[in-house]
Amino acid sequence: MDFNWTQEQQEFRSTVRTFLEATLPNNWEALAHGPGSETQTNFSKQFCSALSEAGLLVPHWPEHWGGRDADPWTAFILAEEMWAAGEPRGGQYMNVNWIGPTLMRFGTDAQQERYIPPMARGETLWCQGFSEPESGSDLASLRTRADRDGDRYLINGQKIWTSYAGMADTCFLLARTAPGKGGISIFLLPMDTPGITVRQIPSIIGEGDIHEVFFDNVEVPASARLGEEGQAWEIVRISLSLERVGIPRFALASRMLHRAVGILKKEGRFCGAAIEQAAKAHAACEASRLYSYSIIDQRCRDIQAGPEASAARFATVNAERSVGEFVVEHVPDALAGGDPLLMAHHQRAIVAGIASGAAEIQLNLIATELLELPREPR
Amino acid sequence: MDYSLNDDQAMIADALDKLAQQFELKPTEEEGFVLFGAKLDEALEDSQYFDIAAIPEMGTVSAALAVERLARLPYTVEAALSMLVRPQLDIELPRPVAIVENGRPGRFVDTARTLIIINGDEVGIAHPAAHEMETVAESIYAYPMGRLVGTPEVKWLSAEEADKVRQWIRVACAAEMAGLIQAAIDCTVEHLSVRKQFGRPLGSFQALRHRMAECAVLVGGVRWLTYKAASTGDAGDAALAAFHAQDSATRVCYDMHQMMGAMGMTLEMPLHLWTYRMKALLSELGGRGGQASAVAEHCFDAA
Repeated sequence: MDFNWTQEQQEFRSTVRTFLEATLPNNWEALAHGPGSETQTNFSKQFCSALSEAGLLVPHWPEHWGGRDADPWTAFILAEEMWAAGEPRGGQYMNVNWIGPTLMRFGTDAQQERYIPPMARGETLWCQGFSEPESGSDLASLRTRADRDGDRYLINGQKIWTSYAGMADTCFLLARTAPGKGGISIFLLPMDTPGITVRQIPSIIGEGDIHEVFFDNVEVPASARLGEEGQAWEIVRISLSLERVGIPRFALASRMLHRAVGILKKEGRFCGAAIEQAAKAHAACEASRLYSYSIIDQRCRDIQAGPEASAARFATVNAERSVGEFVVEHVPDALAGGDPLLMAHHQRAIVAGIASGAAEIQLNLIATELLELPREPR
Repeated sequence: MDYSLNDDQAMIADALDKLAQQFELKPTEEEGFVLFGAKLDEALEDSQYFDIAAIPEMGTVSAALAVERLARLPYTVEAALSMLVRPQLDIELPRPVAIVENGRPGRFVDTARTLIIINGDEVGIAHPAAHEMETVAESIYAYPMGRLVGTPEVKWLSAEEADKVRQWIRVACAAEMAGLIQAAIDCTVEHLSVRKQFGRPLGSFQALRHRMAECAVLVGGVRWLTYKAASTGDAGDAALAAFHAQDSATRVCYDMHQMMGAMGMTLEMPLHLWTYRMKALLSELGGRGGQASAVAEHCFDAA
């Protein structure tokens, strides 16, 4: 066991930090508000292009697709630094983490040629068409239909809570081609296809974050299908295992905790209950960090993530929650216009236990697969 | 970064596991609150396990792994302080080692050959004579408990040495707690898997599954923080590990007993062996408040 970074890893982190310092504008902390807003999405495109030119957008991708075959630690160090800086890549982090790699594994040559290079150049934003009004945690019950008609499909239905949909170029869409869990297929759908309507849902997270997306007789060629008909469940299971520890939320949570403690110290108020609560939050952040690192370590050894990835995800939820509670109780002014970054973090942190599979689903997986408790009857 | 055991660590973990397996079974007769493992102690002493931290290929991570593994047994021995604190001082310290914190009774104090005396900020070492200690028979903590009744000579440590001792007591406490929490969870999982109510195993009810899963997440965190603290030798890491261990144990103690129901109140069921040991560790070095002060000092210094 060794908990130290190598010289090379430290240098890489330093390179990323130098890039961030040189590239983020002075007003970045105020701009970081509203993760899917037009302002931030436009900024993210410029930022990701610059990141790409510096070889820092997809270093862990194969050389053929613009990367340099860097190991999963490199990708995670990059993700930590980006997330801790308020995620200037915006929704493009999804391309880097799992949409690109999923297309590399399951896409046709034509799909790869069409979609991967723009991702590697940092020019394109995707959204994830998974949840529906009646299908959240019970994703397999989704109703959006893709009816085969010769060499095309007609898509009808509705998605909801779709992040970044208002500004996205392409949707990674799940739709039903047959009944049951094995009847779900994936479509790579340009968002400017006729018949798609996007409506923003005002939210507590900030401008432009979540949307409803309606599909009304949307016509897509059969060549837009990713994988075989009915292969979605298998593909998504693999993709989401990358996503489960894909966002190093602990990195920003930890930074925000130190920021809040810094405010208290300056005001001479870091004492008593604040110290104990800060220790609890810090321990939660570090536990989350080590859990996540243990999964990355497994990834380096080509070990498929098991229920430990769900435990890592839940530890991250604990970390976000602890930091959020600390800030609300001890630095309340920050959330009333006092500190834009603490405010933006607090708004986004609520998503930790909800997006990419509810925390309670992770607990179910831990109970069944890690503890081997009897399953709940269905 | 490397989160796997090296060959030497894996070998020692495997060997210790084999030894521990001989002591997995709790005797069927009721033994009260304390189940001291005299034979286990002998076996560990014979194989020189108490000194593994000093062997370069093994080191403090192996010692933490060993303490964690041994704490999962129903039988208890004084291992944590011997394996993790003793090697940090350049003094010959015969074991068992025990802590007397601000004059309170402590685990293994009645048989200790080395006492770590903690009075406020001062830390000292004493080697008491047998008549200077007595057994506390009425204790409900599931360790052999004793108190210091004499006034042995104390060699007070420098501030630097005292800090080091406190740091490694934290690592030792966290490692032992990680094992105790895991054993309590394992024992409860077994119960929830076989005990049926309303026609199905208790463990199939989501209300209990989720609570168990949350506790499993906590113990995993305690384990990683402990291994890191043992590996880096950093005072902040040690404080975080001990804080998270005591904080998690507070919850796990309550939840496991709640889920074990009346069964958990019987001495026949071994749960109390682990939970009432956890309770003894909860107050060590000032409990959560004490660890939090150390976290503030070592981790938020620059904030």
